[in-house]
Amino acid sequence: MEYLLHILVITGIYIILTMSLNLVVGYTGLAALGHAAFSCMGAYVSSLLALNYGLSPWIGLFVGACVAALLGIVIGFPSLRLKGDYLALATFGSGIIVYSVAKNWVAVTRGPMGLPGIPGFSVCGVQLSGVWEYLILVAAFVFITYFVMRRIVKSPFGRILRGIREDEVAALAMGKNINKYKIIVFVVGAFFAGIAGSLYAHYITFIDPSSFTVMESITILLMVVFGGMGSLAGSFVGAAVLVIFPELLRFVGMPSSVAAPLRQMIYGLLLIVLMLKRPQGILGTYGWK
Amino acid sequence: MLHQLTANGIIAGCIYILIALGFGIIYRTVRFFHFAHGVVYAAGAYLAYSIIFCQESGIRGQGPVVGYQWVIGVLVGVIGAGIVGILIDRVVYRPLRKRKAPNLVFLLASFGIFILIQNLLQLIFGAQILTIRTGPVKEGHHFLGAVITGIQILILVVSGLLSVALWLFIQKTKLGKAMRAVADDPLAASVVGINPERIILAAFAVGSALAGAAGILISLETNIEPTMGMNAILKGIIASIIGGIGSIPGAMFGGLFLGIAENLGIWKISAGWKDCIAFVILIAFLLARPGGIMGVKARGEQL
Repeated sequence: MEYLLHILVITGIYIILTMSLNLVVGYTGLAALGHAAFSCMGAYVSSLLALNYGLSPWIGLFVGACVAALLGIVIGFPSLRLKGDYLALATFGSGIIVYSVAKNWVAVTRGPMGLPGIPGFSVCGVQLSGVWEYLILVAAFVFITYFVMRRIVKSPFGRILRGIREDEVAALAMGKNINKYKIIVFVVGAFFAGIAGSLYAHYITFIDPSSFTVMESITILLMVVFGGMGSLAGSFVGAAVLVIFPELLRFVGMPSSVAAPLRQMIYGLLLIVLMLKRPQGILGTYGWK
Repeated sequence: MLHQLTANGIIAGCIYILIALGFGIIYRTVRFFHFAHGVVYAAGAYLAYSIIFCQESGIRGQGPVVGYQWVIGVLVGVIGAGIVGILIDRVVYRPLRKRKAPNLVFLLASFGIFILIQNLLQLIFGAQILTIRTGPVKEGHHFLGAVITGIQILILVVSGLLSVALWLFIQKTKLGKAMRAVADDPLAASVVGINPERIILAAFAVGSALAGAAGILISLETNIEPTMGMNAILKGIIASIIGGIGSIPGAMFGGLFLGIAENLGIWKISAGWKDCIAFVILIAFLLARPGGIMGVKARGEQL
């Protein structure tokens, strides 16, 4: 039971990540491949604030998300001038740079040894300890993210985003400052990824750079594409299926040296089949351009 | 110290050149990022490994291996990598091409292939580090204040020869000329009777064989592990972008530049920062000069 709830908490965190990436990739059509960089930033800032300065995780969560958003500006401002493959490559490279800094800046991040003993959340002075409480906490954040995203994509602002996705030149001709919109979207996506990273850090109580590799970014992208490009419901489906389904492999009684690569192989195969048969995803309405 | 770092940079650069050349020759004809090129490189190394050690599992890593097995192993590694490349193209890319899929679909499918084959290698050979090297490590030769091993000289010579051979192939042979024609304008090439599908097949075969050769060379120098393809393809792409994707002299310059830059960059800091330096160079080039040093014209819709 405990294990089942744990899987649900992880699913919730991935749903936040998937929705925030879907805003960037699915709704605005920007090929961003470095989403794990932002959750890495959120996780590390929030954990370091709690460990070194004893700040409450709530403040850490907010500051972490803001710093992740700032990183979104730093990465987005130059790289969003590029398009298509080149944008994908620039964001991918940024993801590797952030990972590499987390791994090599040992004085602050303790490098590959990771940060152990990160304090958990507390509500009104009561420390959250059980998986149940975290499930409620994460579910609350999933709903906040969902409502913010829904509000964004249903608003005139969201319409402009879809306009940029469908035809950038037309959006430009309508007098929209598309660069401004792209950066705003990128920053909002980074902010929520930062929240997800911080939640993960305080829930697991240990982080190390290996949780934020580029493969992680690709997995999140796979969740977006699988569930459906430009569909918030799809993000729920994509994250849930891709987190829960590989866990089933554990019950077949495979040794982990077989189960781990097998799980990755399924991800890879899924990505290929999706691209061949249904590039917009299960619930998606819009394909890549 | 500086001499040694430069020498290390040149050796690393040679491997990057081979990958960038293979990546570039494929990119020229199909115009998308064939990311799975990195896993072809790993597959080449593993194929050679499994042939070389297929009969001597008992004395792995000890004693000299019979000469002919090396020849067969290298041949199987190179040709096998070519076949893997062709299969990837036939099974995945060709249906996408027929559908006129956008570039990003190709890129994502390529990631999928990469993840699939990398983990297949891990499933078959295990995650541990293997080595093709036999016998003890010999002390290298002293040359201009740097120590260079015999294998490093081999890498230098082989990659130099392969680069020149590829350049001659592209410039002088009929197939090479047809490749350049398809790279310039596939439609016009098909009008004059060149079958673009055949040229793409040839590009995948030649490019992937180069990757296989690079994989075997690096496994003589260091080790082989399932994840080796990721770093290799990333460095190959960076080298391509520095030099200008698809240009042979560009790839040679880019590979050497990247190899030397990342090795000199860690003169005063820990070696772990190499990747960081490489990607900062990539982003600087993407922003300032996306066409690369050789000024290959990037197509309008991409930039």
